[in-house]
Amino acid sequence: MLVYLTRRLFWLVITLLVITAITFVIYFVLPPVSPAVLFAGKEATPQLVATVQHELGLDHPVWVQYLLFLKHLVLGDQFGWPGLGFSYVNHSSVRSLLAGRVVVTVVLAVGAALLWLAMGITIGVISAIRQRSVWDRLALGFAIFFISAPVFWLGLVLLWVFWYKLGVAAGTGYFPPGQYGLLTWLDHMILPWFTLALLYAGWYARMTRGAVLDTLRQDYVRTARAKGLGEARILLRHVLRACLTPILTMFGMDLAALVSGTVIVEVVFNLNGLGQWVVQSVTSDDIPSVLAVTVLAALAVMVANLIVDILYAYVDPRVRYE
Amino acid sequence: MTTSRGPARRLLAAGGCLLLLALAACGGSSGGNSGGGSSPGSTATGTAVRGGVYRTAVTSFGLTNNMDPVGETQIGFAFSLYDAMLRTLVTFRHESGTAGTQIVPDLATSVPTPTDNGLTYTFHLKSGIKFAPPVNREITSQDIAYAFQRINDAKLVAQYGYYYVGVIKGLTGKAKTPDNHISGIETPDPKTIIFHLTAPVGDFLQRVASPAAAPVPSEVAKCFNQAGTYGRDVVASGPYMFQGSGAVDIKNCSTIKPMSGFDPTKNITLVRNPNYDPATDGTRPSYLNGVQISVDPNVADIFARVQKGQLDGSMTDPPPATVTRQYLTDPSLKKYFHSDLINQVESVTMNLAVAPFTDVHVRKAVAWVLDKSAMLRALGGESHYSIATHIIPPTLPGGLPVSYDPYQTPNESGDLAKAQAEMKQSAYDSNKDGKCDAAACRNLAFINIAQFAGVDTVVQNDLAKIGIQIKPRDLSVTTAFTALFTIKQLEPMSALGGGYADYTGTYSFAQPNFGSTALSGPVACCNYSLVGLTKKQASTYKVPYPPTGIPSVDTIITKCEALSPGPARNTCFAGLDQTMMTKVMAWVPYVWGRNIVITGPTVSQYVMDITTSSLSLTRIAVTNHVTLSS
Repeated sequence: MLVYLTRRLFWLVITLLVITAITFVIYFVLPPVSPAVLFAGKEATPQLVATVQHELGLDHPVWVQYLLFLKHLVLGDQFGWPGLGFSYVNHSSVRSLLAGRVVVTVVLAVGAALLWLAMGITIGVISAIRQRSVWDRLALGFAIFFISAPVFWLGLVLLWVFWYKLGVAAGTGYFPPGQYGLLTWLDHMILPWFTLALLYAGWYARMTRGAVLDTLRQDYVRTARAKGLGEARILLRHVLRACLTPILTMFGMDLAALVSGTVIVEVVFNLNGLGQWVVQSVTSDDIPSVLAVTVLAALAVMVANLIVDILYAYVDPRVRYE
Repeated sequence: MTTSRGPARRLLAAGGCLLLLALAACGGSSGGNSGGGSSPGSTATGTAVRGGVYRTAVTSFGLTNNMDPVGETQIGFAFSLYDAMLRTLVTFRHESGTAGTQIVPDLATSVPTPTDNGLTYTFHLKSGIKFAPPVNREITSQDIAYAFQRINDAKLVAQYGYYYVGVIKGLTGKAKTPDNHISGIETPDPKTIIFHLTAPVGDFLQRVASPAAAPVPSEVAKCFNQAGTYGRDVVASGPYMFQGSGAVDIKNCSTIKPMSGFDPTKNITLVRNPNYDPATDGTRPSYLNGVQISVDPNVADIFARVQKGQLDGSMTDPPPATVTRQYLTDPSLKKYFHSDLINQVESVTMNLAVAPFTDVHVRKAVAWVLDKSAMLRALGGESHYSIATHIIPPTLPGGLPVSYDPYQTPNESGDLAKAQAEMKQSAYDSNKDGKCDAAACRNLAFINIAQFAGVDTVVQNDLAKIGIQIKPRDLSVTTAFTALFTIKQLEPMSALGGGYADYTGTYSFAQPNFGSTALSGPVACCNYSLVGLTKKQASTYKVPYPPTGIPSVDTIITKCEALSPGPARNTCFAGLDQTMMTKVMAWVPYVWGRNIVITGPTVSQYVMDITTSSLSLTRIAVTNHVTLSS
């Protein structure tokens, strides 16, 4: 296991290097206009551009800039650790801008993920064990509806109904529990959680149903039944455990992808998270911010993948890492 | 191992749809509203009472220098905050209409009269005016001189530096530190500051009223040597300051942390400056106890929150079409809809170095054929904009009246016959049928941004009638303006000419847009059409110089700049507008901007500030009882 982990961590670092290098080339080498020109603003005289280039460290060769970026990432920069640089648009340390937003996105993603797992797996299992029943058809309808419903539409509809018309939800915005209390925080997060969760729950319900149906036809399930085990025990101990592998794979990737993929929900519900910020950064050519989110998103996906792979060994006894 | 990427793809696709919807909403149609100077609800005249907090939201702060006044150019939003936070030697009245453009004393005891043939300005400072916490000391002339030394520091990237560089003796914009003394600025005592100019500048007082010229305490600002970084610790001198100002420890640079009231991507909270003495300020009633502005990227949500009473009003974002319609058709809501003409023009630009626009007859044909009524409808109607009949907005000093309209057509819908008559006189219509038949008239890129994308189809169809084929390219704001200002790129056309005046002085509109000195670098704002491009500049930037030459209005601009504010100066700038419209015709102005704000019933007094093209935070009043900690 230790050898396996070491190997995976090595490849994680290599992949990160490749991703950051590609991002660096895309944003520093390919653009027709230097970031220094954009920074210099209204009257970008050649002298001013040269001054800005020097101030931002853009007068070094690209490979030196890249190495400096890596150095700051690992050892920290003037703004602290990890060194993520200085935002060309917001004129602040990227680290300080990132910090508060990570919390919002993680809260949104984790809350929604728990909801969609609970909804998706429950609906999927019921649908499978009641195959071709009314429940199964209802579950299919649920899945198709929410998979098809654009997330911005769903969010706006939920807001309109539960906040604007019925007044039972609190509306938009993020209200940190430490400042506004747990209830206010929950009140503002319920709709975004459900909006995001309903989209994914449909996928998970369909996938769980398929996996459970497949497993129910396996010989070992028939053997378990022949031995007189109860249906509940068979379902929970034998069937569901076997089904968890593909669900776990998908869950790890989906959750990690949400690090930068919650933009729609964040915009609709006015949550100042990472997704919203990355869109602003891309459209305003704020290279250090884009680079920071790229690193974070890539890291999240790779770490999630690693955790999922490790969990396989515990979920599925057939998997062993030698 | 595999995983489904369906949800992720859907999220991305939906993101695109949402943005499109939001942008479409901005440019959607609306109900009718008179296109005059201001709408019925532009100034609510309820009783203004001190207290309460104006709670608002914007889709983005759109700051250009993180609130550091030396480089901030975001007029509509940041300058409104600066009026609340910063005091200058003299200031504008900051009200609606022409009264708002009047210069009045602020830190200075009086508005000085220039001496030495307009070359010297002497200001005497009032006593007892202090900086806000954490500085808490009296403002001196040295603090104002230090602000100019910051403008002079190249690495702080003073965005409006060109209004001072070469104007004040010794101010070159090339200093390596803000500690360098400027020879043209004298501070003989803590209460006197004298400016020596290189040549008479008629609107020097307006330039001194700009936020970049507000006093800066060196003991704090010296700690910020990178452009924009001082913005998070701006020390106030006006009635309001960032929340948390008092908590900043200025013992030394390492102890200074950002003020809690400003996060550049999330929120700005202003509270009262405890050191502000209203007796020293004759212009800012300052009714509010505070201002709370948050970033809410969902424009529909902002207006929903206003309707639900969670916000007191909007600030810079125009409402979606459905909201506009609701407010304009419901008599009980109409009074909350404020629409005021501002110092903004939007024009179709033509590049004078690119065929077929090297020919003035082609340019005039474009001016005649465009259906401005249709363009106005495409942008939301008269509640959002007014049809522009000439370039310099009538709200600026010297702006001609709306009735000056050299390309007047019935209902402003264009006149094909007159357009074709012009085209026939051009070298690009060989068979004289009123249509351009040269290859130069095909596939011309038409740069635009989402906010004005509604006009693309109108322009495309209208220009096709005179044989000009354009290809609209709707780009992100940064990409579009970078493309237009990259001289070498020679973008032939855009829908983006104009924007705002940098300050309420017509020179600040004319020089950047039409002066050849604005073509100061390979990518420099804002001479879209390359008006006045010289042969030397063409050679420097490696662009072809047309054999017929490029018209210049530099002489007129220089002449106007030297004149003192008054009728002669106004007539001079009116003449510039007429020359641009009839002789140069590089821009076809299609709309003048309006500022739209929707307020809730808690706003008891609404005042629009013509100088910032935004609501006046120092003049509006609310009736809510929201409180903020300092």
